[in-house]
Amino acid sequence: MRVGVLGIGKTPHKIQHDKSLRDLIVDAGRLAMDDAGVEARAVQAYYLGNAGCTGFCFENSVALMGADHLGLVPSPAVRVEAACGTGAWALHLGCVAILSGLYDTVLVMGAEKMNDLATVEGTSIIAQAADSKEEYFSGLTFPSGVALTMRKYMQVYGRSEEDLAHVSVKNHHYGARNPYAHLRFECTVDEVMRSAKVADPLKLYEVCPMTDAASAMVLCREEILRDQPERPQVYVTATSMGSGTWYAASDTLDDAFALLAKPAEKAYAMAGIGPTDVDVAEIYNSFAIQEPLGIESLGFAERGEGWRGALDGSTWIDGEVGVNLSGGLLCKGHPLGATGTSQAVDLVEQLRGTAPEGIQRKDAEIGMSACRGGPGAVAAIHVYQRLEGEA
Amino acid sequence: MTVSAIEFSRLGPPKLVLYAMRCRTCKTLHPWWERYTCGVCGSRDLVEEKVEGTGELVNYTVVYYPPRDFLGQEPYVVGHIELDEGVLVPAPVVGIAPDDVEVGSRVRSTLRRMKLGHEGDIYYSQKFVLDDDPPKRRRSPAQAAKKTPAKAAATRRSSPRPRRGSAR
Repeated sequence: MRVGVLGIGKTPHKIQHDKSLRDLIVDAGRLAMDDAGVEARAVQAYYLGNAGCTGFCFENSVALMGADHLGLVPSPAVRVEAACGTGAWALHLGCVAILSGLYDTVLVMGAEKMNDLATVEGTSIIAQAADSKEEYFSGLTFPSGVALTMRKYMQVYGRSEEDLAHVSVKNHHYGARNPYAHLRFECTVDEVMRSAKVADPLKLYEVCPMTDAASAMVLCREEILRDQPERPQVYVTATSMGSGTWYAASDTLDDAFALLAKPAEKAYAMAGIGPTDVDVAEIYNSFAIQEPLGIESLGFAERGEGWRGALDGSTWIDGEVGVNLSGGLLCKGHPLGATGTSQAVDLVEQLRGTAPEGIQRKDAEIGMSACRGGPGAVAAIHVYQRLEGEA
Repeated sequence: MTVSAIEFSRLGPPKLVLYAMRCRTCKTLHPWWERYTCGVCGSRDLVEEKVEGTGELVNYTVVYYPPRDFLGQEPYVVGHIELDEGVLVPAPVVGIAPDDVEVGSRVRSTLRRMKLGHEGDIYYSQKFVLDDDPPKRRRSPAQAAKKTPAKAAATRRSSPRPRRGSAR
């Protein structure tokens, strides 16, 4: 499959008290349409990923709001929600819409406004992506659910907290170089270890911040992009989704592995590539432990070894595969609905060669994104390729 | 979590007794929340089954940033307890300092105040404490079920009671 990426746009990732949800939507949407050279009235459908507007903003039908403010009316618009996999689902639906032949050009976007509320309110809203009425009745939160996974990983594979701290060090190295990132500072293993406890053994530098951001892509039929050879020839060449358990208690390490591994296998087949072909990957890491889990699921490392690349350099910018050169969610933050689209936009920049200095992988041609959501419930894999000069 | 008075009434007897969900087709035991379809065999035939409430702490975390309803309890321990019946239950572990918690400890359930709703409504449910009873003194779940049918019927509406959402 090939779906053309005609244009991309993104806002900075940070606490933006001066921006409302609609401001973010309009900013990202206009940037993407301008980059694509597409008028609003030429957009035939609009898929907006937004996970928590009813809680964070007390607004609901925000895709309709966005369509009106972006000038997309009368084209159809819909809000997409799938926990932290929301933005990736909007991208998936946009790809499916193009592949179906029904639309030539669509706008996919993720947008989230999280910082009008305090952390305690935000934590409670985010917990609604799990069974907040039954399982989370016991005082679990998303960080504590993942902390249990982290301890299990340490138990099963005999890893220490220091081993896993290297993951945060790598992410912060690149986050410090990404002007669009929320947290822009480097840190050492020692600093990770000394950062405040959030949910033992998870520490503050292993947890993403709550972030306001939006990012968008204009997708088109393959031929439309092919007919504009002056534009960067970046295509989505695989979109593969999956699901897993909605309960943290039944999310074993095997389940966590399979969640991404199954759709990844399909994605590799769809794109006709293998793990060694991937130059750059954006792997969901709202908590640091999820990066090694994702690396193992995508086949970049053996099980129990996914953390090691951050130590030996194989997942750094000039390693076998550059993982989270954007700084990952740990530094970019995790604007729930915008995370999937942010991964996609950042990878397209890598393939276009327009990523910021210090995080641009040399000659990147193939990118892969892995997004997940809920305790272990949503999986989304996408492959992006630069295909210059092909017929 | 926000619960209206209407929802509160629908929730029925809150989780005063620890139970699990048994699939009557493949016999798999699932944790103690509403379960409409067995994830193992696909059966729709699941019933609540009382469990003894004793088991082993197999994993835990210490929560320093709680959700709203748990404010004031932090830092608190949430554990994964592998019940003797073979099902995993997440629950707070109380009566022990976070630094003293050890994986592998024997624990038993106890009815405690779980949390405060945002309108001051109090929720009771099962927490776990270290189990100091010598194991030999305890009755097996089968014995317990035989000896206390009246008590079980009094605390459960019926056994098995119709699933919420079923036609009645």
